[in-house]
Amino acid sequence: MINFDSINKAKPDLDLANLSQEDRAFTINNLDLYYGDKQALHNVCMAIPKGQVTAFIGPSGCGKSTLLRCLNRMNDLVDICRVEGEILLDQQDIYHKSVDVATLRRHVGMVFQRPNPFPKSIYENVVYGLRLQGVKDRRALDEAVETSLKGAALWEEVKDRLHDNAFGLSGGQQQRLVIARAIAIEPAVLLLDEPTSALDPISTLVIEELITELKNKFTVVIVTHNMQQAARVSDNTAFMYMGELIEYSDTNTLFTTPAKKQTEDYITGRYG
Amino acid sequence: MGNWYKSGSPWIWLTSGAVSISLIAVLGLLGLIAWRGLTFFWPSQIWQFEVYNPDGSQQRVIGEIYERDMISALQLRESGVKVAAGVEEVESLLIKTGNREFVELDFRWLLTSNIISQTTPLDLAVFERSKNGNFYGHIDSVIIDGVTFEGSQDEAREQLATALARVEDLAEQADDLQQGDIGGINYQLERLRLRQRRAELDQGLTPELMTEFRNEKRQLSQEYQVFEQQLFKLRAQMIRDRVVVRDMRNVAVNIEVADLLSVHYPNVMNVFDKTIYWLGAIAGFVSDDPREANTEGGVFPAIFGTIFMVMLMAVIVTPFGVIAAIYLHEYAKKGPITKFVRIAVINLAGVPSVVYGVFGLGFFVYVLGGSIDSLFYPESSPAPVFGTPGVLWSALTLAILTLPVVIVSTEEGLSRIPISLRQGSLALGATKAETLWKIIIPMASPAIMTGLILAVARAAGEVAPLMLVGVVKMAPTLPLDGNFPFFHVDRKFMHLGFHIYDVGFQSPNVEAARPLVFATSFLLVTVIISLNISAIGIRNHLREKYRSLEG
Repeated sequence: MINFDSINKAKPDLDLANLSQEDRAFTINNLDLYYGDKQALHNVCMAIPKGQVTAFIGPSGCGKSTLLRCLNRMNDLVDICRVEGEILLDQQDIYHKSVDVATLRRHVGMVFQRPNPFPKSIYENVVYGLRLQGVKDRRALDEAVETSLKGAALWEEVKDRLHDNAFGLSGGQQQRLVIARAIAIEPAVLLLDEPTSALDPISTLVIEELITELKNKFTVVIVTHNMQQAARVSDNTAFMYMGELIEYSDTNTLFTTPAKKQTEDYITGRYG
Repeated sequence: MGNWYKSGSPWIWLTSGAVSISLIAVLGLLGLIAWRGLTFFWPSQIWQFEVYNPDGSQQRVIGEIYERDMISALQLRESGVKVAAGVEEVESLLIKTGNREFVELDFRWLLTSNIISQTTPLDLAVFERSKNGNFYGHIDSVIIDGVTFEGSQDEAREQLATALARVEDLAEQADDLQQGDIGGINYQLERLRLRQRRAELDQGLTPELMTEFRNEKRQLSQEYQVFEQQLFKLRAQMIRDRVVVRDMRNVAVNIEVADLLSVHYPNVMNVFDKTIYWLGAIAGFVSDDPREANTEGGVFPAIFGTIFMVMLMAVIVTPFGVIAAIYLHEYAKKGPITKFVRIAVINLAGVPSVVYGVFGLGFFVYVLGGSIDSLFYPESSPAPVFGTPGVLWSALTLAILTLPVVIVSTEEGLSRIPISLRQGSLALGATKAETLWKIIIPMASPAIMTGLILAVARAAGEVAPLMLVGVVKMAPTLPLDGNFPFFHVDRKFMHLGFHIYDVGFQSPNVEAARPLVFATSFLLVTVIISLNISAIGIRNHLREKYRSLEG
């Protein structure tokens, strides 16, 4: 069994190239991914450190979302998708047949591009994951709702209308509710798939602040279109192009002194 | 002209015209049925005509005017009727004369040219009887307990009303006794007989058991006799009073008050009285049992049977349809086989309904019902319990008939749910089944309700398959009563759709039945509309709850 508890221990200033086993959340080895005949990821190798924010950037269709969706096996939902290579979480392959996908996803949470609250009350949205685990105690649920909503910086805005329908919230609030829903089940890793692309600038700012808060408790992997965002929130950045991992280093280095010409072209806006 | 054509106005006119025509057609249909059906209960005037017979003698005719028609003089002359020269058309009246046991036909056509005079005497009375239909005449006298009472008309009417109220009261008691207590004992006796037969078949009929059965039977018989005595006593009390009525032949006829259902005097009623009478008649039509081969009385068992059968069908078809749709949409691999199954399901909706009836008779009644009988009810053989048409088999047959509708609309609902919600649930560690139960099915419930609404609308109007699998002209008992186990789904039932057919085509007196056909049709439409409106209400509530699809 994967030991999920060991994953979210923060370590500052890691050397990405020589990450020790204990400091790794995910280790991706020679990952190839095909949609039918079309290859979407080419031989991706990387290690994602624990307790930090790692960003995937790159132009549309470069495979960054696909890679993110491999980390909690969301790609399983696509019938024609096929994965080769391995993704290790706590040194175990998450694509191994002994791994229960529901358990994996419970520990590797995910927030999507567009807010997708359930057609239920705010309260029921947050406790959805806990109810799935069979938590029935009213007090435990109430507590979890308060902690998660505070953790997602939404508590002050909704504490008086917890039992209203979640669709009454604004887009930014809905996205924070979805984050609260994800952190309510205390995952080890949180995957964010362009979480602010459908939001206005102010909501974006709130969510970005939230992400920096979150890394104290979770390992965060974020996909973003917005290079400024990656620079602002992440510790490490991976640049992808045409399904290949071009460059991967700490954010400062990648944005100031990129090693590859392609990376430089992209971050200076010459293509993409 | 060219500009007008280009502007698109003709297109708007064309489309709005199509909508208007459909609207007029629907409203016209409902209006016609409602008018013809509801005016039937309005108390019309009773006329007294003095007419010439073809042989020149005079005759008195009393009755209601049912219809007016114009007959060409040419046609009349050809059939030997004398018509004055220069006249081209003669009006003819259809008169309901009632008094069925004394005249050949209780309807007759009168040519207006033969009418000498027509009046509406105020003392004319209409007697509604439990047998032989209406009786029209003047009240001569009332005989209460053998004493002839002769007074003014008003006093006689009062006497009659009291006697009628007394009989009604007694009849109600007798009815309660017969339906409730005596019916219950009969049911228990039948069950006792079946238990004994069962024990006999199992070779377990020991002498002790025999005595037990005999004792129980004796006790039930004793109770039965007590109730029967009470019933006879009530019946004897009922036949105390009589009313003497002078009919149109000017003959005094004795009528038992016990045979009367009601008496009214339409020629002295004002609009207010008539409205009250009209409402009462409609209430009676909705709540009474039919009489006289369904041509008189109410249609309550048919209303009950229709709703009961449709509800039972809904209870069967919904889970089946929803489960099948979920498998097809969520679990089945997308491939040629799934495609074929889906096409087959959709095509099932196009099979003529009577074919389903034949299938229901062949499979449900004979195979399924027959096996149930031989397995569980050997004691009632040779009389079938489930191996004969009944309300359960009707509901099952219609469930199969409406299954495609439910499957198709459920699938449509499932495919309309945004994929992001499924992903959201799965990303929180839910399995596919949990996602289905907690998110997908609740959100698809408005679509499921739509399927159910369509299914109910289709099923409530079907008659053809039911004639093979369970509907009857006259069911002695409802499928729901006070005897354990309360729901008797093996029983045959009455249905409004079949009732229309039966009254309209199979009744001994088609003229008398025609307004009933309209009234019953109106009722059927009302029942279907109210079933649909309640389902639509539930659906709108659900839609409101899961509004996200639009949001």
